[in-house]
Amino acid sequence: MADPIFVVRALVKSFGGLRAVDEASFDVSPASITALIGPNGAGKTTLFNLATGFIKPDRGSIEFDGESIFGRPPFAVARLGMMRTFQITKALTAMTVLENMMLAADDQPGERILGLVTHPFSWVPKERAVRERAMELLERFGLVALADAYAGILSGGQRKLLEFARLLMAKPRMVLLDEPLAGVNAVLGQQILAHMHALRSEQSLTFLFIEHDMEVVMNNADRVIVMALGRVIASGLPDEVRRDQAVIDAYLGAHGENVA
Amino acid sequence: MIDMISLAPLGQADFWLGVGVVAGIYSIFTLGLQLNVGLTGIVNLGQAGFMAIGAYAMAILIVTYHWPPWLALPAATFVAMLAGVVVALPSVRLRGDYLAMTTLAAAEIVQNVAQNAIGLTGGNNGLLGFDAAWQTIQVWMLGVLSAVGLGNEDQIPLFLVVWLTFGIIMLILVALQHTPWGRVLRAIREDEDAAGALGKNAYAYKVQSMALAAGIGAIAGYLLALNVTLIYPGTYSADFTFIGFAILVLGGLGRFAGVALGSILLWFVLEATRFVDLPLAADQVAALRLLIVGLVLILVMVLRPQGIAGKREEMVLRG
Amino acid sequence: MSSTASAEDAALSSVNHEVSLSTGSRALVIGAATIAVALLLVAVKGYQPAAQATVNGLVTGTFFALGAVGLALVYGVLRLVNFAHGDFLTFGAYIALACNTLLSLPIIIATVIATVTTALMAALLELLLWRPMRTRRAGHLQLLLTAIGLAYVIRNGIQLVAGADPRSLRVNVTSAVSFLGGLRLGTTELAVVLVGLVVLVLVAILLSASRLGREMRALADNLNLAEVAGVNTGRVIIATWLVAGGLAGLAGVLVGAAVGVLTPNFGFELLLGLFAATILGGIGNAYGALAGGLLLGLAEEWSTLFIDPSWKLAVGFVILILTLLIRPNGLLGRPGLK
Repeated sequence: MADPIFVVRALVKSFGGLRAVDEASFDVSPASITALIGPNGAGKTTLFNLATGFIKPDRGSIEFDGESIFGRPPFAVARLGMMRTFQITKALTAMTVLENMMLAADDQPGERILGLVTHPFSWVPKERAVRERAMELLERFGLVALADAYAGILSGGQRKLLEFARLLMAKPRMVLLDEPLAGVNAVLGQQILAHMHALRSEQSLTFLFIEHDMEVVMNNADRVIVMALGRVIASGLPDEVRRDQAVIDAYLGAHGENVA
Repeated sequence: MIDMISLAPLGQADFWLGVGVVAGIYSIFTLGLQLNVGLTGIVNLGQAGFMAIGAYAMAILIVTYHWPPWLALPAATFVAMLAGVVVALPSVRLRGDYLAMTTLAAAEIVQNVAQNAIGLTGGNNGLLGFDAAWQTIQVWMLGVLSAVGLGNEDQIPLFLVVWLTFGIIMLILVALQHTPWGRVLRAIREDEDAAGALGKNAYAYKVQSMALAAGIGAIAGYLLALNVTLIYPGTYSADFTFIGFAILVLGGLGRFAGVALGSILLWFVLEATRFVDLPLAADQVAALRLLIVGLVLILVMVLRPQGIAGKREEMVLRG
Repeated sequence: MSSTASAEDAALSSVNHEVSLSTGSRALVIGAATIAVALLLVAVKGYQPAAQATVNGLVTGTFFALGAVGLALVYGVLRLVNFAHGDFLTFGAYIALACNTLLSLPIIIATVIATVTTALMAALLELLLWRPMRTRRAGHLQLLLTAIGLAYVIRNGIQLVAGADPRSLRVNVTSAVSFLGGLRLGTTELAVVLVGLVVLVLVAILLSASRLGREMRALADNLNLAEVAGVNTGRVIIATWLVAGGLAGLAGVLVGAAVGVLTPNFGFELLLGLFAATILGGIGNAYGALAGGLLLGLAEEWSTLFIDPSWKLAVGFVILILTLLIRPNGLLGRPGLK
């Protein structure tokens, strides 16, 4: 196995008296599709927030591609190549779909105020190149007809596609997808999964996605990481994990409990 | 009732030119607010403080240190922008209400210093004599204007300079709005986290936005100083900022050109109070005008938050 | 009837129990620190100046506390930073002024009328302005600018009617009491402190022991949960505005009595100080606002021992900025409260 691209060791985060993430440890291999599963409240989205810098961990270590990203702000983590989507999509509704896409380009000197002054003639042609790439991606994701529409009019499923396509503009090496299929119809869901596999093959992109549907996980994930009550209770091949007693207990326990 | 309304001033050119100068100065001031609030989504209640810093820096450099104006103006603008950075560094991290309070407090401190640091600022007596160069220019301009038959009103030079300045700054800002830099600001305005997730350092952009607005405020300050020929603390009060906000929302968030519309409209309404011969003392008339400002703020926010020229779809007033 | 009441009480108390646990010990620490600072100042600056400043600080602190508690209550229940709150104080003061000077009513009656009128105005504004805006899902910036507009309307409405000239209430400004070795306190100032402290204690009792108080705290903790627990949120919000408005009106009268001179701008000038007090105590925390107000009053008066009194207001601004930068949850705020 090649060196893991994403390594988490003994990560801890508490809110008040509650340990949302409790000494979590796991690896993710490069160019793999890994599913992060667990009952509600297991700490999966908190883990995503910790990994991408939206929340600061209390202690532990997080390394992306050999570099520590502990405590780094979100923009820095994104610039290093690890990007994410959100459970409730963050399509920028006051901008058009195309503007959403072009925003995400990571190599446009015209985004820096000094760049506008020092590179006055390079950022304009760059815009054209960025626009071309954006249109290509929109084409690939089936959104090109909506390029000039305000993102606010997109349906939930279309917004998921937009969020996915958008972050690809920044050429990430690892993508964290927070429930990519939630609230999306089956056809669209299959499209999203197809994109994941295609991108993994073509560009060796690594995917870590949070998912609740076991069938989707079984059919699409190379490896599965299971969290419960803030801890990683199992990780391995989908079949192994499905038969793991700790995992079964966690899910049964969560369903059997009376919600107070 | 009819004989309470005096229509004589309506025909007086110098009156309307004066209103035009004031409206223009406020327009420039509010361009800075539009950059902060309309484009970046940060509520800068301290803009009058930056205006004061620029104006005082200019006057102190010219009068106390005898700098030539062509050097003092850029230097003072730099000082104001530096102040913008200093205020922004700690405060743009804070969420909306707290950012508003902090910037307001900073401006109040500036006004306090202007009043009390008498050695530096002349306290409530203010500073005079910084406009010698302008007087020369003004005379020259009136000479040129006479050749085209416009030399009879001595407010015309300042009127032209003010609105020309507005035009230039507005065009620069509109151009900036359409750059990739402007696009990042618009994203930050709507959703800072989304921008951060895409690799944009929202903090840095917000500091840049406030620094630029401070510079624009300073320029408004110079023109205001030339109009009044005196720099004194009372001018640069929170009232100035809030009138700016009334203009901002009236014209509409997001459109730089809308600022001129809002300013001209508001000042037309405010100056109309002069025509009605109400049995009011000066302080009561002043109160009436600010009351109107407050009503404008409330009515626009309640009835038509996007203002006259704002776009409904771009109305993502964060929070 | 009783079984539903106790079920509601249980739900309310489960939402509320967190409030008093660790803040109590922190309050004691802050109280002790304040006394320590006071003693230190006496040692450094001498008994008479330092102790007199402390006394003055308690007077100032009283009306700061009254104003700040109202701000905190409104923020706690509505998440609204009421930029017009300072002008509620001005409103109350000028109503009392009108009753006292125009109608020649005794100051006590004028104070009561002022308090009630301001409370009613606040409730009326809720019905006419805030509630419709909330129904139409107005955003933060909209509400902020509306509050600022309201502040301008109130303040300048007062100036339009009463003019900008300083005015005074008909109170006794000459007689004073001497105590504790040369310390001086005007009888009016003494009355201000007594009235203020009594009212603050009553409000504290209202908040902790009454049903309304528990409902207000439940809404502040978690609006949705409180609704589920059966609390009539609309009624509680009106009650909150009544209390906040009343406190503000009373505070305004007390300022007029203590300071001696009123102008239409005085409330707005105090606004940032009130914000400082509220945030210092932990925004949304009414007990904290009470403490914050007293602390701010003390800080302002103590500052005159070191710097020129014309910078007094600036002390409030600086404390506001420092608190927001260093500890935005305040001294008594709960960790993690945004």
